[in-house]
Amino acid sequence: MGRPGPSAYHRLNPLTKATVATVTAIAAVALGGVVGPIILAAAAVLSPALVAGVLGRLARLSLLLALPIALSAFIVNLFFFPGAEQVLLRIGPITATGEGLRFAIEILVRILAISGAVTLFYLTTRAGDLTVDLERRGVSSRVAFVANASVQTVPTMVERASLITDAQRARGLDTEGSMWRRIRGVVPIVGPVILGSIAEVEERTMALEARGFTRPGRRTLLWTPADSARQAAVRWGLVVGLLALIVARVTGVFG
Amino acid sequence: MESRWSRIIAAGLALLVTAAIGVLLAGGIQQTGEQDPVTFAYHEVADVLALILAVSMIVAIITYLVVEWVQTRRLDSLSHQFSTRTFALIPIAIALNIILGQTVVAAIKLPIYLDSIGTILVGVLAGPLAGALTGFLGNVLWAYVIPPPFQYAPAAAFAVVAATIGLLAGIFARASLLRPRPDQPINRLVMAGIGTAVVIAGLAYLASLGYTTAFGGPPTIAPAPNNEVFDNGLFIVLGWLAVALVIGTVLGLFVILFVRRDLTAAYVVICGAATGIVAALVSAPIAAGVFGGVTGGGTDFLVAAFRSAGLSVGQATLGQGLISDPIDKITTFFVVYLIVSAMARRTKARFPQGERLLEEGDAPTAEGDGWRGATA
Repeated sequence: MGRPGPSAYHRLNPLTKATVATVTAIAAVALGGVVGPIILAAAAVLSPALVAGVLGRLARLSLLLALPIALSAFIVNLFFFPGAEQVLLRIGPITATGEGLRFAIEILVRILAISGAVTLFYLTTRAGDLTVDLERRGVSSRVAFVANASVQTVPTMVERASLITDAQRARGLDTEGSMWRRIRGVVPIVGPVILGSIAEVEERTMALEARGFTRPGRRTLLWTPADSARQAAVRWGLVVGLLALIVARVTGVFG
Repeated sequence: MESRWSRIIAAGLALLVTAAIGVLLAGGIQQTGEQDPVTFAYHEVADVLALILAVSMIVAIITYLVVEWVQTRRLDSLSHQFSTRTFALIPIAIALNIILGQTVVAAIKLPIYLDSIGTILVGVLAGPLAGALTGFLGNVLWAYVIPPPFQYAPAAAFAVVAATIGLLAGIFARASLLRPRPDQPINRLVMAGIGTAVVIAGLAYLASLGYTTAFGGPPTIAPAPNNEVFDNGLFIVLGWLAVALVIGTVLGLFVILFVRRDLTAAYVVICGAATGIVAALVSAPIAAGVFGGVTGGGTDFLVAAFRSAGLSVGQATLGQGLISDPIDKITTFFVVYLIVSAMARRTKARFPQGERLLEEGDAPTAEGDGWRGATA
């Protein structure tokens, strides 16, 4: 925290980057069709990624992220689009239809745009920076704590689960047998993880109260991300533009 | 406390009035569009109703808080729910949501979600608004901030659904519905057992209707011989797994009902079914409108099945939701009830709504607020 980012895009205020990501995701849905989201992705996802030098990682991660959904969407819509006339090919009893293909591509492009926007934000922003910035703007320090703690707790809990798995295996739990054995093995692992975490709540509560968590008023922040009037104007412009887009779509201006 | 009742009544009225205005604005509950053959629901109407429901809930919450402010010049219900202990619990609950939800959506591919255990746990232990915050924040973090492999981009769109689930769980627990009721006389248990069986049978009937619609024949574990697409071993395995999970939950509930003689098992089923139906109504239009019905998990198979039977996207997501969500939420409420039962009484009682999870006879200790506050 506090170190300048490697590129101009990294150094933007985290709220700006978050606004870009959210507006892009919502606009990808509002635009519809295939051309719109592609242009949007090129402008709002690929160009900043190029500037930030994360294009390769972005492509890899967002494709990875979108893969299961994209695969599902593609198969479901390509083969199971009801009422479609234009048959492209038949594999046995399954038919791929033209309308299904079009819809599938539309959804695919939308999903790629959304996952690209989200991954760009994740790659160019340190998690703590966004919460610190929001706290400076007046979000309660408790909510900021919850957000940070949640992100930290996921890997901690996974690690604890693997520790408990090792301990239970040392006690004879079968984790490699048949499907049924593995399902039975879930309870002796998940149970202690959950109950152990809840028992930890007591300690965390006392630690938080000892650090003045319930003290009213705001904390003094030693460092906050930089912001500028120009970025604030861009943020508002993006939001207004998005609202205009939604209104235009709803009232049928774009058809 | 008359003042609390007046707040609740005010909020209830606000809900009904907003809903009525919404229905009037939408031109009455018309039965437009095509009827979903499984649930006889009109999905376009369901979409509008979902929006009206969401807006009405927000208005009702605001009304409740406004009335409280006017009455007492403080927002005690808020500050009571959001104690330090709640804030220490929420990250764990969110982590639970994300880990279990990601496992089910990415690895296990069952037609359920299991991403609300943390939300409902917080709702039950801390209160409706705490549960709503957990759901909303959890989904937003899941989509934007959690690093891969646990990241799941579609989660942000369903943040509203998660908030609604947390809210409902908190309200049910607030109404003392989930208080353990052990050692009941056998006739009450039998009646509860029958009621539970009726609800579960109703949901199973709905599911089999859906199966019939999608697969064109009565439910069997092996697919019908001339069935177009699903002559696939994967679906058989999935079917068995789903059935095993459902049977496990149902058996567990009946064990609680008749072995522990705890009447609350029936309430678990009812709360779960109600929450599931509301969640399905609110999530179907989002899944249909934003993702074309496909979100990457095991539920997509159900949507595919409905689509292959000729339903529109909206109908398919609504049908899938009305099958998956009640099952998922009943299972989740059951798991939360198990967790809460396993917690020590002392641990439970310190949470804001913990007293409502203790048995009737366990009055709070005479030490009162000083001890439970645990500060200087």
